[in-house]
Amino acid sequence: MNSSQIYVIAGAGLVSVGLFAWVVRRHLVRRMMGVNILSTGVFMVLIGGARQVEGGPDGVPQAMVLTGIVVAVSATALGLALIQRIYDQRGERSVEERGPM
Amino acid sequence: MVTLWVLAVGAISQAGLFKSVVLFVTMGVVVAVAWARLGAADLAMVEVAVGAGITGALFLNTLGHLEQGPGKGGQGEDKARL
Repeated sequence: MNSSQIYVIAGAGLVSVGLFAWVVRRHLVRRMMGVNILSTGVFMVLIGGARQVEGGPDGVPQAMVLTGIVVAVSATALGLALIQRIYDQRGERSVEERGPM
Repeated sequence: MVTLWVLAVGAISQAGLFKSVVLFVTMGVVVAVAWARLGAADLAMVEVAVGAGITGALFLNTLGHLEQGPGKGGQGEDKARL
């Protein structure tokens, strides 16, 4: 196992953790954090896989990940604005967890 | 790798939401270090500036809004009633 395969496995683990947070957790901010962790895992799988190519690292996945980080941040901003709006409409102000988890 | 997983699991399973945000930003910095080791220095720069900085600021903004935002039965209404 070379070093880039370790990063591919770490990215897969981050994808699973983010998917767990996205599906299971009840609080909306924590769900948004799970989506962010999932996207980080996908980026890490891409970059780790780009190292496996012979003849140096490939530049195209790095450019894709560079674009993806910016898009993920803007999507996070939109989602957090929607979450603030949702909590304002409901009139709930508690940041505690609701529900079973 | 183990540090990354511990930070990610801690970020989603921490009881307090503020501690969770702090662990999330720390995970972003560790990811930036991982990309610097993978030979993508520009990605590391962007991650530590945008992924950790701006996203952490957005999450903290949301936390502040949820804690003292306008709502029914809130502190603002108590002050108005007094």
